[in-house]
Amino acid sequence: MLLSVENITVRYGRLTALRNFSLTMEQGETLFVTGPNGAGKSTLLKSIAGVVAPVTGTIHFHEQDVGGQPPEGIARLGLSMVPEGRHVFGSLTIEENLILGAGMRRDKARMAENLASVYDLFPVLSERKDSHAGVLSGGQQQMLVIGRALMTEPQLIAIDEPSLGLAPKIIDQVYDTLTRLRDERGLSLLIVEQSTTRAVMAGGRMVMLRSGELVLEGDARELSKGDALNAAYFGFEEH
Amino acid sequence: MSTTKHPSVLAQTVSTPVILIGGLALIAVLTWAFGSNIFGRTVTEMFIRVALVVGMFTFIGNSGVISFGHAGFMCIGAYGSAWLTIPPMMKKVLLPGLSPMLANAELTFFLSLIIASLFAGVIAFAVGLILMRLSGIASSIATFAMLAVINTIYSNWGPVTGGTSSVVGIPITTGVWISFGGAAAAVVIAYLYGISRSGLALRAGRDEAVAAAASGVDIYRERLIAFTISGALCGMAGVLYAHFLGVVNPDAFYLGVTFISLSMLVVGGMSSLSGAVIGVVLISAIIELLRKMEKGITVGEGTLSLPNGIQEIAIGVVMIVILMFRPGGLTGGAELSLTRTRANDGYSKKDQGSGNHPDNKPRR
Amino acid sequence: MTAVLQILFDALSVGSIYALGALGIALIFGVMRLVNFAHGDYIAFCVFAMLWPSLDVVAIVFIGNLPWFLLIPVILGIGAGLSIISEILVFRRLRDANPATMMITSFALGFVIHNVLLMFYSSRPKAINLWSNLSLPVEIMGARIPLLQVITIVMTIVILLALVTFLRRTQFGVEMRAAAEDFTMARMLGVKANRVIMAAFGVSGALAGCIALILATQTGVADINMGLPVMLVAFVATVIGGLGSLHGAVIAGFLIGGVSVLLQVFLPLEARPFRDAFVYSAVIASLLWRPQGLFAPKSSKERV
Repeated sequence: MLLSVENITVRYGRLTALRNFSLTMEQGETLFVTGPNGAGKSTLLKSIAGVVAPVTGTIHFHEQDVGGQPPEGIARLGLSMVPEGRHVFGSLTIEENLILGAGMRRDKARMAENLASVYDLFPVLSERKDSHAGVLSGGQQQMLVIGRALMTEPQLIAIDEPSLGLAPKIIDQVYDTLTRLRDERGLSLLIVEQSTTRAVMAGGRMVMLRSGELVLEGDARELSKGDALNAAYFGFEEH
Repeated sequence: MSTTKHPSVLAQTVSTPVILIGGLALIAVLTWAFGSNIFGRTVTEMFIRVALVVGMFTFIGNSGVISFGHAGFMCIGAYGSAWLTIPPMMKKVLLPGLSPMLANAELTFFLSLIIASLFAGVIAFAVGLILMRLSGIASSIATFAMLAVINTIYSNWGPVTGGTSSVVGIPITTGVWISFGGAAAAVVIAYLYGISRSGLALRAGRDEAVAAAASGVDIYRERLIAFTISGALCGMAGVLYAHFLGVVNPDAFYLGVTFISLSMLVVGGMSSLSGAVIGVVLISAIIELLRKMEKGITVGEGTLSLPNGIQEIAIGVVMIVILMFRPGGLTGGAELSLTRTRANDGYSKKDQGSGNHPDNKPRR
Repeated sequence: MTAVLQILFDALSVGSIYALGALGIALIFGVMRLVNFAHGDYIAFCVFAMLWPSLDVVAIVFIGNLPWFLLIPVILGIGAGLSIISEILVFRRLRDANPATMMITSFALGFVIHNVLLMFYSSRPKAINLWSNLSLPVEIMGARIPLLQVITIVMTIVILLALVTFLRRTQFGVEMRAAAEDFTMARMLGVKANRVIMAAFGVSGALAGCIALILATQTGVADINMGLPVMLVAFVATVIGGLGSLHGAVIAGFLIGGVSVLLQVFLPLEARPFRDAFVYSAVIASLLWRPQGLFAPKSSKERV
């Protein structure tokens, strides 16, 4: 089991963002986490990445308990997080952004190889590798942060809302890249998306959150047939 | 649908100022009845600080902007009252540059108090017109720059302010009861502002600037109102102080008082009125205690005393320790109250820091 | 011409001190969002570290007697050490606290250091004689410039170049810059929080030591308040320069130094005592024009 989240509850002050939430992922899987705004999706990712600590419950990555570990420790275990809003380092160049993640591996030769491979995947980054990351367009920034995550040699990439603020054509490109990574490199993907359509298009398992709780789980394509998806998303089954 | 009438905000929260003023009144009574003259002076100074810190809270606590400048308003109020109450004979000699109207004025304490405090408020309004456009740390630095400007002007405009020498001759009228009155007035005004539309709107803007703006809150306007009121209150504290010492000097209204009062506010709990009052009372008490201990307490046959200078070090350490364990200050933003309601519970996004709440498991 | 040259060197040397101070404040602010109000007291501490504790007006020089090639590293080390110890003992616990708490804590720490110095050395400024031969003037293109000013400017340039090289060309330097811009994101990429923060504190403390040496030599006095003016300007420069931008802080430090000196020269005589009022008014104007700082990094806008 690659990732196992067991019964976590996360609070911000008096607000409970996640309540008794559980989740599992196997190696090579693609898991979508969907749900309306404020459902707790970002909180889930932040907990897994070590940015916030759950009040109760445990998280295991590669069978290791990662609760209480700082983000840099979890990154070293092979989990790379791409947070919402991309967060490129605007004052650093593209190349500097990329080599940042490689620092922990310490092997210069491998870093050079990984860098070449990322430039191969995203030629536009290679063309502008000495420009400051702040001047990139939204789509290019998304490529940059995915490339940056790849430089950490992860087994699991967790991405929060990769399509946020991007034009549909660009989103297509982003998802093309992600599916390529999944198919060619066997990368496991944990993707948070508000839109269930993308999940259905890309294929994979899906869990849905609402108000901090799990309300639906299953194969994306299967669930899309019928009303279960919409009902769960909008809360039709409750009054 | 619920048909019960919700109690008004006033009813829910009025116990707070009542408790705070009651507590201060108790201290005043005990001091008046049992305290020595010297202790009375200490308590007077504490009450003046309460007025000052509550004045600062009115702006800082509600807007979330840390202002380093309020000692400047204290200065303006203090000198303003000095100009109005020092006997004209002395003013002719000490402050030759004063306009004839000021030079000949000799007002009663209360009249001077009101005029000088209002004057400080007017200056706060004028400066606020410019500064309140800024947010966050830019705003804080701007208030610090304002303090520096005020200090430079008062330290160098000899004919009008006496420059860096002390201006003497202010009638000493602030005692325990007057300063208590000032502190109580500050608490009342701060409370009323806090529950007013402006105060509530400002706090909304503090916690969620974008959402508040989208709901029609004019953050600039609300901040300006708060800044003006707090300027007037700090001016009042300045007047009380001037009539307590009988002497004013620009140095008394610069960095020292700024940081001590900010410390008292933050240690007490920056986002609550109770925090402001408790911060002052508690730290003043600790300082007094340490002062006594430095002088020595007789224990049995000998005297137990701390070496000189330990007192200040100890107060610094105490503040650090309190903040380490209660980063939101002692009250954490909550108010002392007889009712436990949302209005009093002290949840403030600003207090929470960067997102990791102590409720969550400890993280390295 | 000579007058212009003298003014230029004056401005540069004052600016250098402010730039070094601003850099010290900006380094820590960048990684921790903490304005370290104890910085001025670190400077004073480094000056007094050269003296043997005494309450006399005449200083008994102790470490200060070491030859320059030992004294400099020792004082820089003391500064770095003091700074790192404060991080471990005091600031580490407050990493996630709100800005006000961190500010007041740093102020309380400074207050403690200030009073420790007061206890051991008294508040009377002491005369010290540190490299006094450096105040002798040298001739540069016809102008007589105190040697110390030249050295200050040169040293500052050297330090800044060294730092820039370190920050741009080493992996750790890139990590520090990333951490200064977006700390959490840097951690998610494996950057070790503690190491970066300790490095920031260490360098900041060493810079305080530099300033201590310069001020002590320049003024010939050891005064427990001597770090305060530098720290205040450093604080202001960091904000005007743009939070999270190290080069912004340095440039702003030079700017304030320059404006300060120029005003001193060009203000009419009656207005000169009010020079600081003009400088600080210029600060307010700068903030109104560019509240995010003159050189703010591009990604510093608040996301909705």
